[in-house]
Amino acid sequence: MGALADIRVVDLTSSIAGAWCSRLLADFGADVVVVEPPEGCPLRRLEPFAVDASTGERFSIAAAYVMANKQSVVIDEANGEGAALLAALIRRAHVVLTSDASGRTLVEERPDQVHVSITPHGLDGARAGWAGNDLTAWALSGWASVNGLADRPPLKGSGSNASMVAGIGAFAATLAALVARDRDGQGQRVDVAETEVLATTFSPSMLRSLYQGRPEARDARVDMTTGPVPVRDGYFALTISRAHFWRDAMNLLGLTDLAEDQRFEASWYRQQHRDDYVPRVEERMAQWTKMDLFDALATLRVVAGPVLTMDELTANPHLRAREYFTRPASGGGADPEFPGAPFRMSGTPWHLERPAPRTGADLEAVRASAVEPALGGDE
Amino acid sequence: MSGPLIGYRGVVLTQAWAGAFCTELLGIMGAEVIQVEVRKRPDSWRGGYDAPIAARVAGRTEGQHSWNNSGLFNAVNLNKQSITLDLQTPEGMATFKRLLPEADFMAENFSPRVLGNLGIGYEDLRQIKPDIILASLSAYGATGPYFNVPGIGGTIEPTSGMSGLLGYEGGQPLNSGSMFPDPVAGWYGFSAILAALHHRERTGEGQYIDLSMMEANLTVVGEAALEYALTGQIRGPLGNRHRTFAPHGIYPALGQSEGGIGGHEQWIALAAESEAQWRTLCGIAGHPEWLTDARFADNAARKANEDALDGAITAWTATQPRDDLARALATAGVPAAPVFDALEVADDTVFRERGLITEVTHDEAGAWPQIGVPFRLARTPAAVTRPAPLQGQHTAEVLARFLGTTAEEYEELVRKGVTGSGPPD
Repeated sequence: MGALADIRVVDLTSSIAGAWCSRLLADFGADVVVVEPPEGCPLRRLEPFAVDASTGERFSIAAAYVMANKQSVVIDEANGEGAALLAALIRRAHVVLTSDASGRTLVEERPDQVHVSITPHGLDGARAGWAGNDLTAWALSGWASVNGLADRPPLKGSGSNASMVAGIGAFAATLAALVARDRDGQGQRVDVAETEVLATTFSPSMLRSLYQGRPEARDARVDMTTGPVPVRDGYFALTISRAHFWRDAMNLLGLTDLAEDQRFEASWYRQQHRDDYVPRVEERMAQWTKMDLFDALATLRVVAGPVLTMDELTANPHLRAREYFTRPASGGGADPEFPGAPFRMSGTPWHLERPAPRTGADLEAVRASAVEPALGGDE
Repeated sequence: MSGPLIGYRGVVLTQAWAGAFCTELLGIMGAEVIQVEVRKRPDSWRGGYDAPIAARVAGRTEGQHSWNNSGLFNAVNLNKQSITLDLQTPEGMATFKRLLPEADFMAENFSPRVLGNLGIGYEDLRQIKPDIILASLSAYGATGPYFNVPGIGGTIEPTSGMSGLLGYEGGQPLNSGSMFPDPVAGWYGFSAILAALHHRERTGEGQYIDLSMMEANLTVVGEAALEYALTGQIRGPLGNRHRTFAPHGIYPALGQSEGGIGGHEQWIALAAESEAQWRTLCGIAGHPEWLTDARFADNAARKANEDALDGAITAWTATQPRDDLARALATAGVPAAPVFDALEVADDTVFRERGLITEVTHDEAGAWPQIGVPFRLARTPAAVTRPAPLQGQHTAEVLARFLGTTAEEYEELVRKGVTGSGPPD
C-alpha cells in the first residue's frame, strides 16, 4: 500500500514538470487520472520515438517514461458530455494539477481540495505571462552561467532535467499541502514556478558569489577538481572533499609527496593551488581503467566517480543487487525495464503498476467510477 | 509563524548539501529543525576551521569565525537551530537520545555504516520513539555492493548517468557548475519525509527511508535509460539543443564580448516549440525571409539545418539588447529568457516580488539576499524566519527547553568537550 493510497488526483497539465509530479504521486500510491485533449497530450509528440512491437505504432519515449502508472481519459471540453465528466472527475479529486498560467478554476473550488498550479514563472509577478520551458529555467536560475566552459556559451543541463526537478518540487508542494490538510481538513491553492524550484538548487552558488563580490563563472577548462577527466577507457571524476580522501587517493596513485603535504588537506587550499598538482594527478589517473580505479578507491572509502553510460548503468551490479530497474507489474513482462524508486520507503513502498496508457485508454473505466457513483451519492 | 509543517519537529544529523538542503526545506515549511553538529568533524560545508573568510563578508562584525561565514553552509541551513554534541562520548550520545522522543523525524546523510556504528540505526531509534521517521540519504543506498562506498555530488553526477549526458554537442562529458545531484537528492528527501508524515497522520506509523543519490538522480535522466532499454541507443551530450525542436539554444546578445573569460557576458536563451512560435520569432526578428527559406520550412527542416539556423539567429541576436529581446519574445509566446549570472539572480526584482529571494540577516555574516521559499501555499504560507545558525548557537537553549539542563550543567558539558563551538580543544 502506497503512502498516498487515499488520494485521488486529476492531472490537467501538459508539461514534463506536471507529468513527473503526477507520476511520483502515482508511484507512491495515488490514483491519478490524466485528462488529455482529443489529439493527445503534447508530450506524446516529443522525440525520440520507439516502435511498439505488437502494434507497429510509434510512441514517444519521453511520454512513456513520465506518463506511466496513470490512467488516461480524453475529454473535449467543447462537448457537453466531456465537460460534465471533467466536472465529475474534479469534484471527486483530492488534488487537481494544472499548468495553465492563467490559474483559472475549472469548476467551483472545494475548500478541502488541493489545487496545484505548475507554470514556468508562477501565477503573478512581472514574468507571469511569459512563455518559458526547461531551457529558460536554466537561464534565469543562474545555472546556465556556471555550466560548461568559459570560452563557450552558457550551458543548460541535459534533457529535461530542470523540468524534472520542477516536477519533484511540485510533488513536494502537493505533499506539503496534503500534510496541512491531514490536520484540519482544509485544502488550498499552491503556486509552483518551475524556474523558482530550479533556482532553489542554485542558492549556494548565489550566496557564495555575493560573499565574494563576483559571480561564480564557468571554468576555463575541465580538470580533476571540477569534473570528469580522461582515463584509459572513458572519463572519471575525482572531485575530492575531505582530507583523508586526498591522502588515500594520492597514495594510491603513487604521489606520496602530495599525500604527505598537509597543506593540501584543506579543500580551500587545494582550490587555490590547482596548478601545483592537477597535471601530475591526471597523468597518473590516465593509466587506470575507470572501474579499476573506482574499485580501488572504493576499497579505501574515497569518493570517486566513473562516468557511466546507460548501457553500463543497466548492467551495473550494484543497481542489479538492489533490484532498481523494474518492469510494470501489470504488463506481463513485455514492457521495458524502467528506472526505479527515487527513494525507498519501508512502510509504504514505491510501486510501478502499469506502463503509460494509450490516449484515452481508461475513459470507460474512469467514467464508470467517477460519474455513476457520484450520481449515486458517493463522497 | 505559518507554514504547513508548524508543530512538527526534527532532530537531524544532516550536513553538506543534500542532507542539509532536505532539512532546510522542512524548516522553511515550518517544521522545527534542530541540527546536531559534531565539532570534531565539522560539516564540510562550514569549511575548515582555518578557511579564509570571503572578502565582502570579512570584517563586517566583531568576532567572526570562518566556520560561521561560509556561503555554502549559510545558503542551505535557513530556519534551523544548531546544537553541538560529541556523539562519541557517552554523555553526548545520552543527550542526543534524550532529545529523540521530541522528534517526528530524523534525517542524516552519513555513509550507511555510521549510524549503525553509533548504535542509532532505525531499529535503535524505534526503541526510543516508536513512530519516528528516519530518512537516510547516502551515495548509493543502505544495501548492495556499493553500500559502504562514499560519494558526493561531484562523483554521483558521473555514476548516475548525468555527466555522460551533460556537455556541448559532440564534446566530452561534464559535471554541472555546482554539483547538481545534491539538491536533487535534497528535494527527493524532503518529499519522502512529507509522504511519510502523511502516512503517519493516517496510521500512526513511522518508517525508514533509504535514499540512494545515485538512484534518485538516475530517475531525473531516466528517459535516457528507457531509451536505451527500448532502442539500444546510448545518448551523448546535446549542448543546448533539443531532441525535437529547433531553434533551441543560448545565443549572444548585444554587448557580448569575445573570449568569455573576464569579458562581459550577455546571452539570451530562446526556443520555438511550434510553427506558430517560429512565425512569431521571425516577425520579431524582422526576418520574414526565414519563413520562405526552404532550410527552415518546418521543424524537421530546421532540425536538419540547425547549424545554419543557429548561425542566422546568432547574427540577429548579437545586435539586440538581451533583456528587451527576451521580454519581446516571451510576452509574445516564444520561450525566451536572459541568462542571469549569480549576482543578477540575487538582484532580480521578480524573484524578490514573488518572495523567492528575501534579505536575511546572519549573526556574523550580515544581511544578504537569499533564496528561500520555493513555492507558495495560499493558506499556510511559508517564510524564512531564521538565518543559518552559528555552530552550536542553540545548544544551551534547546537542552534547557527539552531536558531542563541548567546553565551550570551546560557549562560542565562544554568543559568536558561534549558541546561548545569551534575547533575542538
